[in-house]
Amino acid sequence: MFSSIRNIALAGLVASTALVAPAHAFERTDEGNVIVFGGRQAIPVLDPHIRYDWSTRMIQQGVYDALVKYEGDPAEVKPWLAESWETSEDGMTWTFHLVKNAKFHNGDPVTAEAVRYSFERGLKLNKGVAWMLKDFLAPEGITAVDDYTVKFDLKAPYAPFLSFLPWWFVVNPEQVKANEVDGDYGQKWLTDHEAGSGPFTLGRWEPNVLYEVTSVEDYWKGWPQGENRPAGVIYRMIREPAAQKAALQRGEADIVEGLTSDDYVQIAKVPNIVIEDHKGMTTFGIKFNTQKGPTADINLRKAIAYAMDYDAMVAIYNGAASLETSPLPDAMKGHIEVEGMPRQDLEKAKEYLAKSDYPEGGLTLDYVHVAGLEEARRIGLVLLDNLKALNIEVNIRPEQWPNMVAAGADVETTPNMTSIYATPISTDPDAVAYQYHKNSWGQYYGIAHYDNPEVSKMIDEARAATDWDTRANLYARIQKQIVADQPEVFGMLQNRRWARQDYLQGFTFSPVRFTGEVDLYPLWIKED
Amino acid sequence: MLSFTLRKLLTVAGTMLGIAVLTFVITNIAPGDPARLVAGPNATEDMVETIRSEYGLDRPIVEQFVIYMKDLMTGDFGTSIVSTRPVLDELLRYAPATIELVLVAMLLGIVVGVPLGMLSAVYKDGPIDHVTRILSISGVALPAFWFGILMQLYFSVELGWLPVSGRLPLVARPPDMVTGSLLIDSLISGNFKTFNSALSYIILPAIVLSFPCLASILRVNRAEMIEVLQSDYIVAARAHGISSRRIVAIYALKNALLPTLAMIGLRFGWMLGSTVLVETVFDWPGIGLYAVSSALASDFKPVIGVTLLIGFLFIIANTLVDLAYAWIDPRLRRA
Repeated sequence: MFSSIRNIALAGLVASTALVAPAHAFERTDEGNVIVFGGRQAIPVLDPHIRYDWSTRMIQQGVYDALVKYEGDPAEVKPWLAESWETSEDGMTWTFHLVKNAKFHNGDPVTAEAVRYSFERGLKLNKGVAWMLKDFLAPEGITAVDDYTVKFDLKAPYAPFLSFLPWWFVVNPEQVKANEVDGDYGQKWLTDHEAGSGPFTLGRWEPNVLYEVTSVEDYWKGWPQGENRPAGVIYRMIREPAAQKAALQRGEADIVEGLTSDDYVQIAKVPNIVIEDHKGMTTFGIKFNTQKGPTADINLRKAIAYAMDYDAMVAIYNGAASLETSPLPDAMKGHIEVEGMPRQDLEKAKEYLAKSDYPEGGLTLDYVHVAGLEEARRIGLVLLDNLKALNIEVNIRPEQWPNMVAAGADVETTPNMTSIYATPISTDPDAVAYQYHKNSWGQYYGIAHYDNPEVSKMIDEARAATDWDTRANLYARIQKQIVADQPEVFGMLQNRRWARQDYLQGFTFSPVRFTGEVDLYPLWIKED
Repeated sequence: MLSFTLRKLLTVAGTMLGIAVLTFVITNIAPGDPARLVAGPNATEDMVETIRSEYGLDRPIVEQFVIYMKDLMTGDFGTSIVSTRPVLDELLRYAPATIELVLVAMLLGIVVGVPLGMLSAVYKDGPIDHVTRILSISGVALPAFWFGILMQLYFSVELGWLPVSGRLPLVARPPDMVTGSLLIDSLISGNFKTFNSALSYIILPAIVLSFPCLASILRVNRAEMIEVLQSDYIVAARAHGISSRRIVAIYALKNALLPTLAMIGLRFGWMLGSTVLVETVFDWPGIGLYAVSSALASDFKPVIGVTLLIGFLFIIANTLVDLAYAWIDPRLRRA
C-alpha cells in the first residue's frame, strides 16, 4: 500500500512539472497578437450611457467613438467623429460637422441622426453620463441639421460643454432599436453587446473572468501602428496586487495597473519590465466637516493643515506623488500656484490653535478612510502623529466606500475628517471647482459641506462665461479663496502607474483618464 | 420512510426560510446605498432616484421584504443592481466553478488526510506522526489568503510550474458545458489538452482550500484510529494472525471513519464559505468571488442568493453524510 502512495505522489510531481509556463503574455492567434491587460475591476455593464468606471470606459473607448477624443499630456480635445465645430457668440449653440467615412461595425454610416439619438438616449435614461449635460441640454435641443451636421442648442451658456463630449459615445440607433425590450432603449442588450464604430469590436465576454475586444481591420480612422495592429486585447481580471505582480513576472499579463507602491519599486528592478509613472489629476485631500463639530472652526482647520507633515505623504507613495499647489490639479486649465498654501509649520499651527475654540487641544477627531486603501490609512497615521503636538487625538476608522459615501451625504453624519481621492472627469477647471459649490453637498467630493456663497457665485459665473480670460481670472480668485477657507488639508497628486513588458509599445498617457484606464487603440507588440 | 423524508424536507425548507429572512435583515441593516454607488460618484439625486425606483429600493423595507419572499417562492432571486442581470442566472453561471473547486479540494483532503491520519496513528510518536502534526497545525493556523499568495509566489513565480490565477488559459476554448466542471466536461468531450490545462489551474486553489480540511480530517482520523487500534476486536484480530495491513486498512479504518465523515460534512460547508477568500486570491470565477464583489458594492440580492445557495449545498452535504453514516454503521439504519 505504501509503495502505491509513493507512486501516486511521484506521478503528481511529474504531472505538475510537465505543465509548461508561457514565455510571454500576449497570445498569438491566426489573426495576430492579442495583448493581455491585467486589471482589478470588473465590467458588469458596458452600455456607454449607463456606466463609466475606469475599466468600463477603457473598453467603451475601444468599441465606441465620440464626437471628440482626449489625447496627450496635457490632455487636449481632438476631433474624432466630428472633424470640426463652431460655437455661437453667446455660447448657446454648438454645431459639429461629422467625418463622412465613419461607419458602425455592421457597416451602417455614422450620421448626425445617430449622434442625435445617442445624446437623447443618454439624457432620457438619466443614468451614468447624464449628469454632465442634463442641466444645460434637453433632448429637444439636439438637431440633425443634415446627414453630417448636428446642432446642440443649450438652455444656458455652458463653457465646459465640449470638455464632456469625449465621454458621450455614439451608438447605432438601428441596432439599439432592433434590440429594445419594453421600451428600455436597448439597455438590457447593450449590457454585454455593442453597437459602436470604434477600433475594436467585442470578442469573448466572460463576466468576472475576461473581456476581449478584437480589432476592426478596416477601422474608418485607420491604425496608428499600421501593420503592427494587434488582433485584439484581453482585459483579464486579476484582483489582488500580489497576483498582478506575479502574473506580470510570470508572463501572464503584458500590462497591469494595480500594484502597491512597494511593488512598483521592486518590480522596476526586474529586467524587461517598464514602469509607466506619470503625474495624474487625482487629488488627495483630508476633507473637514466644515459645518458641524470642532472642524467647523476655521482656526482649528488651519492649525491641522499647518501641523501636517506633507513630505511624509509623498514618502508614503515612495516619491510617486507631488504636493498640491492649488485645489486644481497642475494639468488642469486655469491652474495657478496659490501663495500661502500651508506646509508644515508647528509655530503657525499653535498660533491658529490658540485662536480657535480649543486653544489647549484636548479633543479627539475621527479620520475616516476607505477600508483597504493602505496609503490612506498610513496618511492617517502621519496625521495622528503630527496632531499629538497640538494635543489632538485622531481616531482612524476604515469604512467601506458605500458606507462612507452614505455617511458623508449628510452634515450630521459626516466625520470630522475624511480622506478623499477625486478624479476630475474633464480638463475644464469647472470639473474641480464645482466640487466646492454648495450644490455639491451630498456628493462624495462635497463631503466637506463647504459653503462660501461668494465662491459658489464665482463658479456659476465662470461656467457661463464664454471668454477664457474672464474665466481664468475667476478661477484664479476661486482657487485663492478656497485655500483661504481651508475646507480640507490639500494633500497631493498621486502619480498614475502601470507596469508593462518592454515589448508592449504604443502606450500613451493622458492625465484625464481614470485610475487604470489606458487607450487601447495605439498599443502593439514589438517582436524580435 | 415517507414521513422521514417529509420531515427532512420540511427541515430543509424551514432552514432555507430562516437563512433568507436573516440575510435579508442583515444586508438591509448594513449601512450603504447601493443605488448611489451604482449611479456613479457624480450622479445627481434624481438620477439616484431613477435607479432606486427601477429596483424597488424606494419602497418601505417591509414591502421590499414581502415582494422578495414572494419572488423567492417562484424561484426568482431578484436582480443584481450592479450587473443588472437576474441573480439566479449569475448563480447558475458561477456555481459550477465553485462546486468543482470544493469537490476537488474535498477529494484532496480525504485522499491525503485519511491515509496520513492512519499512518500517524500506526506510527504514533514516530517521525511520521511528528511531521503530520506540524502539517495539521499549519493547516488550521495558516490564513488562506496569505497561504494562497505564498503558494502563487513559490509555485508560479519562483518555480514556474503552475499558473498564477484563473481557470483556463486565455486563448483556450472551454469545452461544451455538460456539468459545468471543466475537468469533467473536457474529459467527456475527449479534450485532454484542456483537461490538463484545467487541472494545472485548479491545483493551487484546491490545495489552499483543502489544507485546513485536510488537517482536521488528519487529526480526527488519527485520534479515532489510535482508539480503535486499542479495542478488543483488533486485539482478537491480531491474535488470529490477520496481517497488520489488513487490520489497519480494513477493520480499524472502517470504524475510525465515522467521526471523520461527520467532520467531512461540516468541513464541506466551511469550505464553501472559504471560497470567498481563496477565489479572490486565485481569481476563480465562482460564487465566493461573486459574493465578495457584490458585498463590496452593497449589492444585496446576490449576497442573499449566494448565502441561500451555500446553505442549500451545506444541507445536501450533511444529508449525504447522514446516509453514509447509515451505510457504514448498520446499527444506525435500525435506529
